[in-house]
Amino acid sequence: MMEELLHSSPGLVNFGIFFLLGTVLLLVVLGFVTYAILAERKVLGFMQNRMGPNQLGGKWGLLQTAADVLKLLLKEDTIPKLADKPLFIIAPVIAFAPSFMVLATIPFTDKLQFADIGVGLLYYIAISGLTTIGAVTAGWASNNKYALLGGMRAAAQMISYEIPLVMSVLGIILLSGSLNLNDIVAAQADTAWFIFLQPVAFFVFLIAATAELTRVPFDLVEAESELIAGFHVEYSGFRWAFFMLSEYVYLFAMSALVTILFFGGWLPLPFLGFIPGAIWFALKFSMVVFIFIWFRATFPRLRADHLMEFGWKVLVPIALANIFLTALGKELFEYFF
Amino acid sequence: MMSGEFIAFMGIALVAVIGGVLLLNLSNVMHMMVALVFTFVSIAGIYVLLSAEFVAAVQILIYAGAITIIMLFGIMLTRHEDTSEAPGSSWRKFAVFLGVLGFAAVLYFGIYNLDLPQMENTLHEKNTMQIGEALYSKFVIPFELTSVLLLVALIGSIMLAKKDDEKEGDKE
Amino acid sequence: MELLNLYQNNYLIVFVFLCLGVILPVVALFLGKLLRPYKPSEAKYTTYESGIEPFHDSRVQFNVRYYIFALMFVIFDVETVFLYPWAVAYDNLGIFALIEMTIFVFMLIIGLVYAWKKKVLKWI
Repeated sequence: MMEELLHSSPGLVNFGIFFLLGTVLLLVVLGFVTYAILAERKVLGFMQNRMGPNQLGGKWGLLQTAADVLKLLLKEDTIPKLADKPLFIIAPVIAFAPSFMVLATIPFTDKLQFADIGVGLLYYIAISGLTTIGAVTAGWASNNKYALLGGMRAAAQMISYEIPLVMSVLGIILLSGSLNLNDIVAAQADTAWFIFLQPVAFFVFLIAATAELTRVPFDLVEAESELIAGFHVEYSGFRWAFFMLSEYVYLFAMSALVTILFFGGWLPLPFLGFIPGAIWFALKFSMVVFIFIWFRATFPRLRADHLMEFGWKVLVPIALANIFLTALGKELFEYFF
Repeated sequence: MMSGEFIAFMGIALVAVIGGVLLLNLSNVMHMMVALVFTFVSIAGIYVLLSAEFVAAVQILIYAGAITIIMLFGIMLTRHEDTSEAPGSSWRKFAVFLGVLGFAAVLYFGIYNLDLPQMENTLHEKNTMQIGEALYSKFVIPFELTSVLLLVALIGSIMLAKKDDEKEGDKE
Repeated sequence: MELLNLYQNNYLIVFVFLCLGVILPVVALFLGKLLRPYKPSEAKYTTYESGIEPFHDSRVQFNVRYYIFALMFVIFDVETVFLYPWAVAYDNLGIFALIEMTIFVFMLIIGLVYAWKKKVLKWI
């Protein structure tokens, strides 16, 4: 049925159906965010020998995040007198909308995907870059020294790590010959998972992705000791919740992207093909999310100057070298075989 | 004919034009920047309608993502006291108006008389591949010249910025 | 024509996602407005500055190095954009394309090295 719909002439009916399906995904993502936050707190608790949330919703604290969201919803909403009101209101939307838009192109299994667009990977990178503007706008609109500093730091960090991020995936594109995420998974079905063929790209990508997500050890944006809370100091209640939400939706999207690019998406391990693709995807995806949480328990925060210099002086040259070694390797491979 | 494509084009074009008008009429630089982002993104929408998805993605990546950031950082670099320019004389306004009118007339006749042959295109199939093949076989020289241009831009801006930096260093 | 429909439908989905991404904050904030209390007081609306009265304009002038990093970002972003179609079409282009790209990237590496030597990449 979906095939027919996708091949029919686009119209209002299609829009309506896509809208409903998109809403379903939105609810799934919101559910993920709710439990990702809980999982993060539980895992961190486990790693630091604590209990984590265990009061609301039984031993596992299953209702904790839901209660937190409710609390945020009921909080009074304050906009500082000196703030730039229109920008203050629009900034969370600018930060959140791209985070959800990037999910449109991600294939979860060979059947379950929303928009199968030709430039999928580039689309993801381009759209996710828009969030930076939201951060700077929020920092500026708050008219607060910490907020502006936090916003500028966020922007400087995100742009510096976007370069290694976009460069590291070039090795994968060389091997698969396409920007389409479906084709990239198909190429991995023919050869091997790209983590084995492109280990350097994987590490550069993982580091740059952590920095793009502004997670530990790259969470200088919200370094409490110097910047209070970063660009969303002045935000409270649900406006603040949208910055938080956007962060976790990106965690969802980025983990899905890493799964697709390096772990073969829904492809099964050899001899285990009888387990459906959706379960494989979920397993690999959870593993990547776990790695991000694990990072948070393990690494100390970087210093601002180390952060910038590491991006430009280490990651960019490595990513560039990786592209050329891949191209050269491909040439040699074709020459000899 | 009111096809979906036409409605989509009108919507996107409207956002682009409104963004442009707001950019000119708002007085706060940050508000202008946000208006400009809307224009950039809707132009990407127009590219999508024209089956140029790679260019659309690049438009968002470079213009909405990178150029905007550089302008934002430029704003942060300056001291921003809210001073508005004194309005020009009415004579000058009249001259500008004439200029705009002339430009509009030239553009109108130019587009009206332009005869673009209708071509069958398959741009929406493997768009990036087509661009790559054209760029690295037919347009090699312009491509290599681009790298020189980028290098000049990079070195030039570093020299200018460094000069500024040293001056500031002297002051401190 | 079939494929064009497919293409347009896919971008219609992207548009749907854009709509949803805007609608969710608007709806959630509107619902919140119905639920949350509203008890304004003077002190609540002051800017936060660790408990003291805010002084000076908070829109401070930033250092020029932010701007240089933004410039480098734009230039390397443009470069990477050129690399994308190259990588996609590489199979059909062969060794000549590799040489072309080597020249192109070499130019930019000169730029990076220059920036490095000029200590622009230093973030103090």
